[in-house]
Amino acid sequence: MVQSIAECSTTSWPKCPLRIVTTWCCVALSAMSLSVSLTADDGQTTSQPSLDDSSVYFGRDVVPVLTKLGCNSGGCHGKATGQNGFKLSLLGYGVPEDYESIAIEARGRRLFPADPPRSLLLQKATGEIPHGGGQRVQVGSDDYQVLLDWIVSGSPAPQRDDPTVERVTVSPQQRVLETSDSEQLLVTAHFSDGTSREVTRQAIYESNEPDVADVDQLGLLKTNHRGGLVAVMVRYGDKFDVFHGTVPFGSESSASPPALADLEKELGNHPIDRHLLAAWKRLGIEPSPPADEATFLRRVTLDVCGRLPRPKELQAYLDDSEPDKRARLIDRLLEEPGYASYFALKWADILQNRGQGYSTSKQRPGTALFSAWIRDAIAANVPYDRFAAEILTATGSQEINPPTIWYRTVRTEQEYVESVSQAFLGVRLQCAQCHHHPSEQLSQDDYYGLAAVFARVGRKGGFADAEVPTNEVIFLKPHGETIQPRTGEVMNPRPLGGPDFPVNRYTDPRRAFVDWMTSPENPYFARTMANRMWAHFFGRGIIHPIDDARSTNPPSNPELLDALTQEFVASGYDVKHLIRICANSYAYSLRSIPTESNVDDVQCFARFYPRRLKAEVLLDAVSDALGVPTKFPGIGGEFPTDTRAIDLPDEAVASHFLDVFGRPARTSACECERADAPALGQALELVSSHLIQEKLASPSGFVAELSSNGKTHEENVHAAFVRFFARPPKPDELAVAIEFVESQPELVTAYQSLLWSLLATNEFMFTH
Amino acid sequence: MLSDSGDRHCASCRRVSRRRFLEFGAPLLGLGMADLLRLQTGAAESSRISPSKSLIVFWTHGGMSQQDTYDMKPDAPPEYRGPYQPIATSTPGVFISERFPQQARVMHHLNVVRSVYHGNGIHAPSAHWMQTGYFGPTLARNAPQKPSFGSVISRALGAQSPEMPPYVTIPKSEAFGYQGAVYLGKTYNPFEVGSDPNADDFRVPNLTLPDGLSLDNVQDRRDLLKTFDTLRRDIDASGGLSGLSDFKAQALEMVTGDRVRNAFDLSTEDPQLRDRYGRHLYGQGALLARRLVEAGTTCVTVNTGYWDHHDDLHPNLEEHLPPLDTAIATLIEDLEVRGMLNNVLIYCAGEFGRTPLINGHAGRDHWPNCFSVLLAGGGLKGGQLIGESEPRGGDVLSRPTTPHDLLATIYHTLGIPLNLHYPDSTGRPVSIVDAGKPITELL
Repeated sequence: MVQSIAECSTTSWPKCPLRIVTTWCCVALSAMSLSVSLTADDGQTTSQPSLDDSSVYFGRDVVPVLTKLGCNSGGCHGKATGQNGFKLSLLGYGVPEDYESIAIEARGRRLFPADPPRSLLLQKATGEIPHGGGQRVQVGSDDYQVLLDWIVSGSPAPQRDDPTVERVTVSPQQRVLETSDSEQLLVTAHFSDGTSREVTRQAIYESNEPDVADVDQLGLLKTNHRGGLVAVMVRYGDKFDVFHGTVPFGSESSASPPALADLEKELGNHPIDRHLLAAWKRLGIEPSPPADEATFLRRVTLDVCGRLPRPKELQAYLDDSEPDKRARLIDRLLEEPGYASYFALKWADILQNRGQGYSTSKQRPGTALFSAWIRDAIAANVPYDRFAAEILTATGSQEINPPTIWYRTVRTEQEYVESVSQAFLGVRLQCAQCHHHPSEQLSQDDYYGLAAVFARVGRKGGFADAEVPTNEVIFLKPHGETIQPRTGEVMNPRPLGGPDFPVNRYTDPRRAFVDWMTSPENPYFARTMANRMWAHFFGRGIIHPIDDARSTNPPSNPELLDALTQEFVASGYDVKHLIRICANSYAYSLRSIPTESNVDDVQCFARFYPRRLKAEVLLDAVSDALGVPTKFPGIGGEFPTDTRAIDLPDEAVASHFLDVFGRPARTSACECERADAPALGQALELVSSHLIQEKLASPSGFVAELSSNGKTHEENVHAAFVRFFARPPKPDELAVAIEFVESQPELVTAYQSLLWSLLATNEFMFTH
Repeated sequence: MLSDSGDRHCASCRRVSRRRFLEFGAPLLGLGMADLLRLQTGAAESSRISPSKSLIVFWTHGGMSQQDTYDMKPDAPPEYRGPYQPIATSTPGVFISERFPQQARVMHHLNVVRSVYHGNGIHAPSAHWMQTGYFGPTLARNAPQKPSFGSVISRALGAQSPEMPPYVTIPKSEAFGYQGAVYLGKTYNPFEVGSDPNADDFRVPNLTLPDGLSLDNVQDRRDLLKTFDTLRRDIDASGGLSGLSDFKAQALEMVTGDRVRNAFDLSTEDPQLRDRYGRHLYGQGALLARRLVEAGTTCVTVNTGYWDHHDDLHPNLEEHLPPLDTAIATLIEDLEVRGMLNNVLIYCAGEFGRTPLINGHAGRDHWPNCFSVLLAGGGLKGGQLIGESEPRGGDVLSRPTTPHDLLATIYHTLGIPLNLHYPDSTGRPVSIVDAGKPITELL
């Protein structure tokens, strides 16, 4: 807690209202002109020079007010089409355009210099004249005054040498807070002329975890009833800063210290686990105890190979008493073909290896070719930097060099930028196509600089089919331009943040880009993959969502992510090594059942977060459990019997089951396209689909076996539970099952109903 | 509702933030707790408020000819005016096609917008535009990019009755896939009926048990599932697990219970009324739509076959116009008798209209520069003509109306605020309709 505090003095603003926000902090809320000195608990004093220049600048002062009031938001005048003929730049990124709109457009009718309060701009905003957006500001308020002062002073146009916002700082920068606590954030804008000003009231706030702590638009942060980590983005003009809050779960004592102390001995020096432990200590959270061995086996077999463990495997694993059995299990699974198939499926989604989406199916052989290439690369454990490079720099014929197939789906400036940034850099650049990213230092120059990397990708030949050629030849053109649409400038290829790549017409800018991307110091590439793999095993990235890294969306455990990233780089981008680290980590072994202290945890991996099996994995699990493979329609016949859903070469193989359970259409590089949202259609697929009933009724399936093998019901129920859940039935489950089977006139129907009811449980459909 | 399902994570929150709902993306839980209502109250445990209005859509996929239906041009040269003559209607001064005699009888309830335009003459982008409010896909790259208005309605309002699916397409969704939810989440995809309601043995495949499975079997399965489905719901803080559990309960209720199956059971309707609706997909589709809306569905889209009449316009229209006429007119009268007309909005539109000039194959080609749509009921005025086309019907003469205006009118009528945003897959907030205004003349 801050002990001492701020002196606030109003120098030239007689009406400056002071408000005591908490016992320790006082904030000058109108704060047009005041000086503040702050002493934080680290003893450092920050003094801010007062703002002597009382002029109101359009860019520095007026536009931020419009942003704060929401005038230029995407739902109002900031829309691409404006609102009712009045258009502002989205979130105020186009100051000259905004001046034009306000002061000049519509013959200047929005300002009324002769009687400034009667300006349309003000009268609309105050609701004095009917306004679709309602009243946004009160007459006489500080925000109103800024707008009025600007008009009174002759509504000066923005000039090249006007002071601009150089940076924004929030104070405090970080804080440990209790639940049901509050913290007043204080925001200072630093301007290009060396002055600074407190802009707490004009800034915009957004919490990344409102469930942990929410913030109001005056910068008052309030924690809720649960613990966790929170980052609050504070934006003023086009600059922002981030406050990091830590809210421990309950009191220190609730995370039983002996438990964490014991763990300290076990994990304290572990290169990865110690960072998890540190987070648990910091948050006063006790991890769930480790899951039993059978649960772990099921979990890791599903996560590495996308299949259920076989009963024999389970027995062998339980019988194994060597201390390194877990690590050996993971090693063994990584050598199975299923590992390559399952992770190839993931990458085929990310790389948008699409068979459908065009008018014909003539592209599908290419899709199969690329799928096989991806699977081979994963099976061979090709280093990840080389894997990415071979795709991004691919040239040649799509019939001969499969990674060029990536260029079949990804064809436009927009698709290059968005696919590459989401898949390999873990950032979402979409916003920067049209304006500054509102919560990251990414600009249109970054967007079009990255687009320029691909400006010389040439295509020729190919069988033209309804606008989209197949079997093209990808080559490097000697010329190719990307224009930044706002400035009209020709962009040189450059990485995010610049500077331009030194390329000439004889060098491939894609190669320069890949060299930049895959260098060990690159802040995006290895980290994104480390986070992606962690998310695969934990259901959530350390940065979440995994393709949305921003300073305003920080990792929940930066040290952990750094350690993973360094391990990955040091291993030479060895993906299996990365997977071993994730799957062997202490956190991955934990039970999913929450404890009193971690029930609300969704960020710190203090327990295993369950998730539904992916569509293909679920279908394979259904086929395996019921002992009847699924038939898939191919081109001119069916796929071979025993083809597994995770091995299907493209997303266009017809399967209602896969569609309702979230198989993606591969139209985006975001893994989020694979939806695991529950839906009625999924439940109906379980309840009334032919697919499941046919498997239950098959004369060669598991039901047929159970109903004719002559074993006792107890043995059969036991076998079914082990097969479906990798565990024996509990006594009450066994009793209900046996009683049910015995009560039924027909054994086949009885086992059909029994197996269906196991199949439809969440225990079957989820990893847990 | 999250708290109802035993989700301690959320039960312990004082309130669940808007962002959380939007991020979660799948909180329907089948129980009528729609986003909008939660957003309005900002609380998970808000009281249940049912949406009060529903929507029935006749989607004329392929593009219906405006000149031969709602915007006759009898004074145009013969190569423009087409095969039909206008007839007078119950609204003085309003004339529509002679193939619409029944709608002429109820014209005082109908409104025709004669000045819709969007300028794109290709099926896929136009269908996307008209049904999502956004331009985007092309013919070659036709994957849907934005949610359909039906999915938006489904997410914003939910169903009026918890057992019913909030959004249904008859007999199934249009072939482009532009009637789906896209980034809103699969929860908000339409429930596809899956078969022709005019078929003698009409049954809903999803509600029909496969051969060899009896209702008793399903009842047994349901009981057993209760015993075995014991994985604690609180282990999944995302709500996916409890959401799926709720959908399983809803699906079992739909299959084994009476209410939903009855709603789909046309055989309980008076045969005379069925005849009046017409024994065809249009008529029985409209009747089914009415039954579903009555039972609590919020949006029903009847997909009426293919109207892309580049060749032989006349015989093709002879096939399509009378059934459409019967279906719409009977629906209006039926809803009126039942006192439901003010609560059910009816909308008939396709992706575009057709060329004023009849082509060399005696057909009309795509025409996006001026065409007509129909709006009725839902508390709108009736008998209104909105906008005019120029004398040959090729361009808008007055009150240009965009797809945005049409969607804004629909959302507004249903009580959905036009500034509602949902995050797309990258988290960018996307407006449900980013331009346009409700057609105030109808309100």
